[in-house]
Amino acid sequence: MSSDRHTLYRWGSLWSGALLAFSGVVVAVIAAAQEKRTADLLGELSWSAVGWGPLAALLKGIGGNLLRASASHFPLPLLDTRLWLAAGGLWIVGWVLIGLSIHYIAAPGEAPSPARGAPLYQRLARYRDFNWVTLLAYGGGVLASELALILFHTMLVTGVHYGKSPGGEPRLLQASPTVAFAISLLIGFAVAFASGFFGAARARRLATPEATLGLLYFGLPIPLLLTAISANPDLQLRVGYRLREVSYLAGLLGRPELGYWLVYLGLALMMFLGITTGFVVTGSGKVDIRSGFELFIARRHVAVFRPSLLLSVLAILMFGVIPPLIVYAIVRAAEAAVEQTRIRALGLIDPLKATEAVHQWKMREQTPTAMMTTLSVGGVGVGVMALIIVLSVMSGFEADLQQKIIGTNAQVVVSKYADSFSEYREVMDKIRKVKGVMGETPFILNEVMISSGPNIAGVIIKGIDPATVGNVTDLRKNILPGGSLDALSHPETIVARSPEQPRRPEDDKGQPVLQGIILGRELAGSLHVSVGDRVDIISPLGGELGPQGPLPKSRPFRVAGIFYSGMYEYDAKFVYILLETAQKFFNMEGASGVEVRVSDVDDARRIAKAIGQELDGWPYRTRDWGEMNRNLFSALRLEKLVMAIILTIIVIVAGGLIVATVIMLVLEKRKEIAVLKALGVPDGGIVKIFLTEGLQIGIAGGLLGLLSGISWCVLIEKIGIKLDPQVYYIPELPVKIEPLQTIIPVLIAVLVTYLASIYPALKASQVEPVEGLKSE
Amino acid sequence: MPALEVRNLFKSYFLHGKRIDVLRGVWMDVEAGELVSLVGASGSGKSTFLHVVGMLDAPAAGEIRFAGRDLFEMSDPAVADFRNRTIGFVFQSHYLLPEFTALENVAMPALIQRWERGSALRRARELLLRVGLEKRIDHRPGELSGGEAQRVALARALVLKPALLLADEPTGNLDPVTGEGIHQLLREVNRELGITAIVVTHNEALAQSMPRRLRLIDGQVLPT
Repeated sequence: MSSDRHTLYRWGSLWSGALLAFSGVVVAVIAAAQEKRTADLLGELSWSAVGWGPLAALLKGIGGNLLRASASHFPLPLLDTRLWLAAGGLWIVGWVLIGLSIHYIAAPGEAPSPARGAPLYQRLARYRDFNWVTLLAYGGGVLASELALILFHTMLVTGVHYGKSPGGEPRLLQASPTVAFAISLLIGFAVAFASGFFGAARARRLATPEATLGLLYFGLPIPLLLTAISANPDLQLRVGYRLREVSYLAGLLGRPELGYWLVYLGLALMMFLGITTGFVVTGSGKVDIRSGFELFIARRHVAVFRPSLLLSVLAILMFGVIPPLIVYAIVRAAEAAVEQTRIRALGLIDPLKATEAVHQWKMREQTPTAMMTTLSVGGVGVGVMALIIVLSVMSGFEADLQQKIIGTNAQVVVSKYADSFSEYREVMDKIRKVKGVMGETPFILNEVMISSGPNIAGVIIKGIDPATVGNVTDLRKNILPGGSLDALSHPETIVARSPEQPRRPEDDKGQPVLQGIILGRELAGSLHVSVGDRVDIISPLGGELGPQGPLPKSRPFRVAGIFYSGMYEYDAKFVYILLETAQKFFNMEGASGVEVRVSDVDDARRIAKAIGQELDGWPYRTRDWGEMNRNLFSALRLEKLVMAIILTIIVIVAGGLIVATVIMLVLEKRKEIAVLKALGVPDGGIVKIFLTEGLQIGIAGGLLGLLSGISWCVLIEKIGIKLDPQVYYIPELPVKIEPLQTIIPVLIAVLVTYLASIYPALKASQVEPVEGLKSE
Repeated sequence: MPALEVRNLFKSYFLHGKRIDVLRGVWMDVEAGELVSLVGASGSGKSTFLHVVGMLDAPAAGEIRFAGRDLFEMSDPAVADFRNRTIGFVFQSHYLLPEFTALENVAMPALIQRWERGSALRRARELLLRVGLEKRIDHRPGELSGGEAQRVALARALVLKPALLLADEPTGNLDPVTGEGIHQLLREVNRELGITAIVVTHNEALAQSMPRRLRLIDGQVLPT
C-alpha cells in the first residue's frame, strides 16, 4: 500500500554521509594539488569560475599557500593513486550513507475520508516528467553553438574555398578576425536561441532542471578546456595549434579567459532568451506570436509613452536632478495657487461644483506604480546614457592615441634582418606596387645623446627623407610655425638666433653651415633651445678608435624646426635629421628600414602581409602598427571592456528597479489577472502582457538614454571640456561617436529589462484565478 | 443526455492547517438551455462549486463533463480556451478592468480570441445596446453605477455567445429593484439565446422565480 507511507529522514547519518562525501572532495583536491601544474590549473579555474575579481584572487592566494603548506608539511606517505582511490571511496560511502538514511515507513492509520475511491483530480497531483528531448536540445544546443562559433571563426579567418570564379581560380572567402568573430558569434547565438526555443516549446515549460544540466554538463567543458589551454603552456603547444585563431582573438584582450567566459555567458544568455521566448510563444498551446490584446492591455497598465513622462525624464537626464526638480516645484506651486483660488471662488457660488474641482485636482496625483515607472525609465536612461558617453570618450582617447602613434610612426615598417639595407630604393619600388600602399619613405634609427650648453638628454635620432616623409607620417603637419621641414635639405636657410652663443673653437675650423635638426617641443623646452639655436649630437660609437676603445663622436647641428605630436613620449624623445647626414654620421650605406602608409589603417595587418609576400619574406620583415604597439592597445581594449561591464551594472541595477516595478504592478493587478484568466487568457498571454510592460520601460529608457547620451557627446565635442595639459597632454576631452557603440547599450538595456521582467511575468501567470477573485 | 454532468465532486480548503471539506460528493445534471438557481447559506460552498465548474478552481476529486467532454482531461491552454469560448462568468462584484471603457471591457473576450479590433468593438456595441447601456459606452467602470457595471459585466459574459453562463450572486451588491432588473435580463437572455445558466444567489425570492431550484446543504446539492 504505497499510499499509506511517508518519508522519514535520519538526520544524524544524513549529515555524516554529507560530511564523508565532502571529505572525499577535499581529498580529491589534495590529490590534484600534489602536482604543481594541476594545482596551478585548479587555482586558475576557480578564479575564472567564481569571477569575483579581487575576492577570488585573494582566496586563490590563500588557498595556494595552504595547499603548498599542506603538501610540504604532510609528505603524505600514500601514493597518488591511493589518494585518488581514497577520495573516490569516501565519496561513494558518503552517498550510500545519505541514501540509507532516507526511509519510507507506514503512516499511522486514520479514518478514510468520504472521498475514498473517487478519482483524484489529476492536475492537483501532476508532476512534471523530466523531458529527455529537452535536455538533449538544451545541452546539444549549447555545445553545438560553441562548436559552431569556434569552427566558423577558424574557417572564416583562415579562408574557405568555394566554387570557381569565371577565370577558373577557386574563390576564397576570408574575413578579418573581428568580422569573422562577429559573424560566427551571430551564428552561435542563433544556434543557442533556436535550441532553447525548441526545447521549451517541446516541453511547454521553462524546464529549469534540464537547462541547468544541459548548460553545466554540455556547455562548460569547452570554456574550461580553453581556459586550461590559456593557462598551461604545455597544452598550448599540444592542442592549441588548431585553436590558434580563437586564442589569437582572445589574446587581443590581454586576458583570454575573460573573453572565453564572456562568450559562454553570452551563449547561455541567448539560450535563456530562446527558452523563455519558446515558452511564451507556445504557452497558448500552439505557436502564437500575435500580441494584439496583450499589447492593448499592457499599454493601458503602464502608460510609458506619455509626453509628460518622457519629457521629464529627458530633462533629468540632460540637466541633472536638481534643476528640473526646482522648475517642477515652481510650476506645481504656481498651478496649485491658481487652482486653489479658482476653487475658492467657485465655492462661493456653487459648493458642489467646487467639490468636483477638488476631486479632479486630487485625481491628478500619481499612483506609486506610476512613480516607480518613471523612476525605472530614468534608471535605464541613466545607465544607457553613462555607457554611451563613457564608451564614446574612451573611443575618443583611443582614436586620439592611435592617430598620434601612427601619425608619428608609420603604419607599416619594413626592415631587414642582418646585413645593411642599401637596396632600399629597389625595395621601395616594389612596395609601391602593393595594393593599399599610399606612401613610403626610408629612415635610419639610432640612439644618441643631445646637448646644449649644460643641458643633456638621451634621444632617438631618425634620419629622414624630407621629400617623401610627408606622404607617410604627420611630421610635416606637426612642425610648429617658425620652423620648416625643408630647411633640413637647405641648412643654409636657417637663420642663426641672436644673440649667438659664444663661439667655440670648432666653429672656426671651418664648417661654414651647420646641418639642420628637428626636435620635439618637450625636448626643446628641456634643452632651452629654439629654432636657430645650436645643439650637439654625441654618439657613443662610431668615432675613431682610441687607446681604450671607440671614442665618442660629436657633431654640431642647428635647430631647423620644432614639432609637436601631442604624445609626450615622442615630443621628448625624437629628433630628426637628413637621411644623408645620418648615413655619414653613422657610417651607414643604406637605411634602417622603410616606413609605409596604407589606405586603411584597420587593414594594416593584411597589407603588411601582402608587402611581405611581394618582397618574398626573408631577409625582409614587415610589422604593422598594431603589432608594434600590441600591449598598449590590448590594455586599452581590456580597459574599455571592463568599463563597459562596470557600467552595465548600472543598467542591471536599473533592471532591479524594473523587477520591483513589475512586481508592484503584478500585486496591484492580481484581481485583473484573475479576471483576465476567467475571460480565457492563457498563461502565455499573461506572461506576454507583463513582459511587454517591462519592455516598454526598457525601450523608453533606452531611447531616452540614447538621445541624451548622443546629445551629451555632441555637446562635449562642440563645446569641449578642457583638460589639465600637465596631466593629459590632450587639450580637451576627445569624443568619438561610433554607431555600434551607441546601439549596443540600448540593446543591452532592452535585453536586461526583458530578463528582469521574466520573473515577475512568470509570477503573474501563476496567480490562481480564485485567489485573485477572493482578494476583494 | 444532459449538457452538464457533475459526478461525485469533492473539494476541500484549508483554514489554519485544518481541512474543511466543503463539497462532499456533489452530483448534478443540467439540461441544455436550462436556467437553474442554486441557493445555500453563506460559506456553504456555492461560489466554490461554481468556480470548480468554471475551471477557475481545482477540485480534489470527481468528474465534470460539459457537452460530453471531460473537463479534467484538458490541458492548460485548452482550459483557457474553454473559459474563453464556452463559459460566461458574472461575479458578485462586476470585476471590470478599470483602465478600459465599458465598450472595451465587453470586447475583451473577443480580443482575447484574436478577433480583429473593429469587429470586436462592433459586437460589443450590439451587446451594450441589448442591455440598455448605449449612453455609457465610453465610460470607465469607475464612472458607472453598480447596476450599470453589472449589466456591462453581463454583456461581457455574453459577447462570445457562450454555451454556459455561470453567475455568482450577480445581484448580491445591488438593491432589490436593480437586482430584479438584472435577473429579468438573465431570464430574457436565457430564453432568447438558449444559454444554459446556473445562478448562485441567497436571495430566496429571486431564486423562486427560476424554473429549476437547487440547494447546497452539507456539501451536497439537493432539489428544493
